[in-house]
Amino acid sequence: MKNFHKILIASTLSLTVWACDKTIDEPQRVGYTPTSVDEKAGTWKTYVLTAPTDVTIATPSSTSSAEYQAELTDLKSRSANLSLDQQEAVVFWGAGAVYRWNEIARELAARYNVPPASNADGKYPVPDAANPTADPKFPFANPPYTARALAYLSVAQYDALVSAWSYKYKFKRVAPSKVDATVRVALPVSALPSYPSEDAVVAAASYTVLKAMFPGEVSFLDAKLAEHRNSRLWAGMNVESDLAAGVSLGTQVGAKVMGRAKTDGMSAANNQTLTAGMIEAAKGRGQTDVWSSQETPVRPPMLPNYGAAINWNFDAATKVKLRPGVAPLPGSDQFNKELAELQSMQKNQTREQARIANYWSDGPGSYTPPGHWNRAAANAAHEAKYSEVRMARTMALVSTAIHDAGVCCWETKFYYYTPRPQQYGVKTSIGLPNFPSYTSGHSTFSAAAATVLGYVFPDKADTFMAQAKEASESRVYGMIHFRSDCDAGLVCGKNIGSYAVTRGQADGSGL
Amino acid sequence: MKKHVLIAAFTALLARPALAQMPNDAIYMPKKTICTAVMLGQSNWNWYWENTLKRENYNIGVHTTQSVNVMAAYGITNRVSLIVNLPYVSTSTSAGNLLGQKGFQDLSGWVKVNAVQYKGLSLHGIVGVSAPLSDYVPNFQPMSIGMGAKTVSGRVLLNYKHPRTGLYVTTHGTYTWRGTIRIDQDAYQADGRVYNTNKVAVPNAVDADVRLGILRRTFQTEVFAERFECVSGDNIRRNDMPFPTNNMQVTTVGMYARYQPHKVGVNARGSYVTSGLNMGQSTSFMVGLLYQFHL
Repeated sequence: MKNFHKILIASTLSLTVWACDKTIDEPQRVGYTPTSVDEKAGTWKTYVLTAPTDVTIATPSSTSSAEYQAELTDLKSRSANLSLDQQEAVVFWGAGAVYRWNEIARELAARYNVPPASNADGKYPVPDAANPTADPKFPFANPPYTARALAYLSVAQYDALVSAWSYKYKFKRVAPSKVDATVRVALPVSALPSYPSEDAVVAAASYTVLKAMFPGEVSFLDAKLAEHRNSRLWAGMNVESDLAAGVSLGTQVGAKVMGRAKTDGMSAANNQTLTAGMIEAAKGRGQTDVWSSQETPVRPPMLPNYGAAINWNFDAATKVKLRPGVAPLPGSDQFNKELAELQSMQKNQTREQARIANYWSDGPGSYTPPGHWNRAAANAAHEAKYSEVRMARTMALVSTAIHDAGVCCWETKFYYYTPRPQQYGVKTSIGLPNFPSYTSGHSTFSAAAATVLGYVFPDKADTFMAQAKEASESRVYGMIHFRSDCDAGLVCGKNIGSYAVTRGQADGSGL
Repeated sequence: MKKHVLIAAFTALLARPALAQMPNDAIYMPKKTICTAVMLGQSNWNWYWENTLKRENYNIGVHTTQSVNVMAAYGITNRVSLIVNLPYVSTSTSAGNLLGQKGFQDLSGWVKVNAVQYKGLSLHGIVGVSAPLSDYVPNFQPMSIGMGAKTVSGRVLLNYKHPRTGLYVTTHGTYTWRGTIRIDQDAYQADGRVYNTNKVAVPNAVDADVRLGILRRTFQTEVFAERFECVSGDNIRRNDMPFPTNNMQVTTVGMYARYQPHKVGVNARGSYVTSGLNMGQSTSFMVGLLYQFHL
């Protein structure tokens, strides 16, 4: 009878929990043994490093040394009894170092992707890197900013892992559980040598880049870095010296990669003094109606000089060659036809068109279109059970192509300075970005990403390209782009992506 | 004495004219009687609370929500009523370029039971459910016509009506469970993190009110104060748009009046938001035409 009461109370409680349950199920990613450990990856071509040996780590002590044996004893004690939190950390980070740090970067991008509010004087204060947590927060992680942040993150991860692989196979220190079978491991152990720890390498390289990109998040990143590092001890996967060497290597590579960031032209991207000249030049080329901000108060355009930044996969002369021809001029038959399409869309937008526009909108508060494709790439590489270094290669190819796409697209936007449909009275079901119309950023980002992903995952090439086309057309459905903006953006994106593909084919991976 | 009260109540019931009723009053339809209503509503705001910051938005200007409600109340017995409401809602702004949304919003149904009646004092139990009638976009805020969530509400209502004068005071408390919705995106941000799913938890809510008024044979008039708040949820981020996960809170004051000499009647409601969180400071008006008939 006493038990019956217990059951009754328990079932009532569980029913209450069920009724009020607000838990949201998300797809969970877990660790795996990679299809290949890519043991030759130490020879793959890096982006910023000239050679894996540009950065150095100490020669590890032998696994038979007293020093190593002491580390092993320490590891056994740390991995013996795990709390629930520790177990969760092991599973979380076990899904993959590159995978998780890209996910963290996307989350930071989403959190910082809100345009500054206007102040009492009707001006928009510019976010200040020296005071990142003030209003407006620094950075405004808009699509160009996020594209660049993700590119530097991926390049740092990739270069650091190529160097790490080179040292791993130089020193060939085996995993702790292969030295001593009594080490309790919580994750799959591959044949990969463990010095330096690839997890520590990725964590430190990512931390270095993200701390520079999101300077208001240092304590958040400190906690992630510490948890990731500790999770490798709790999982029985790395001894202290594996991790220390990894942190050293990752930090060195991160610093070198951020050295390039300092001189890539981004610091001049928001040079608003150039816009008057840009407008004059566009008018001189016959653009009668030019873009103007549709916001009140009038907001200066987003990063008008971002197009002058340097690219990853081609030079400045190629960037000019990649720029498409002129958009249909306002008043032309083609322009009127495309405007009429949007006017009709405003009256007759179907729920499916609204769905597509919403799905790809990736507007304020989201991780932007570069984040959307970063996620697609990371998920595909995870599902293909890629090694850390091969996943980093995939992410670097995709992210550099997306960054290139952003730079080229912005160069085109401010070269032609074309008006938005909203300047002709069209409303939007997704919100209007504050920069010229031609070409569509979504289309360029998406086609570039899909082109690279189609090369890395040939089986899914058609799917990725169909998604890029849908992302492109979503901007017509959302009524913020003329069809020509999207069509031209798709073509440019494919061309831009092909340079990353060419690089990938010649990077020594044989992939 | 007891008998006298019963007889008096019974007589009052027989003499009762048409009575439009709402889920927040202590009025019941006589058995097998239906009151139908068509009500037109408009609600405007240009100031809103972004988190706790009260602000305007020049890219919205004045935000307007218009609605047509078709409502029916049916007396299952003299002490049990069923109320059904069907709203059609449209939104627009006076500035900016956000496309207004329109469509059938959420169909709701309420069962109201007069559980205890002692002299002028009565206690009522009310259960309500609602569900979206159309596949509207729930997270294109503030243009969306609704939250898209299915809800279940439990309400306790206490009423005292002075038998001779018809003066009354009513108060209620409600808990509303709001379900998980699906959005068109497969990732979104809430509580400072990214959720990699299209499922969004809309926070549960509580509401309460106090109403003071007079209810006579042909008319009713009252003043009220209402409080609504979510029991959890996040805040609108600085300069960002609202989202269904927001912890919306609002205090409203207003007046309601109804005149229904016989089968046909009219009602009107006016209200004003005095304070809020993650919501617009709206001023709302509603007028309705009532028609009552016996089955």
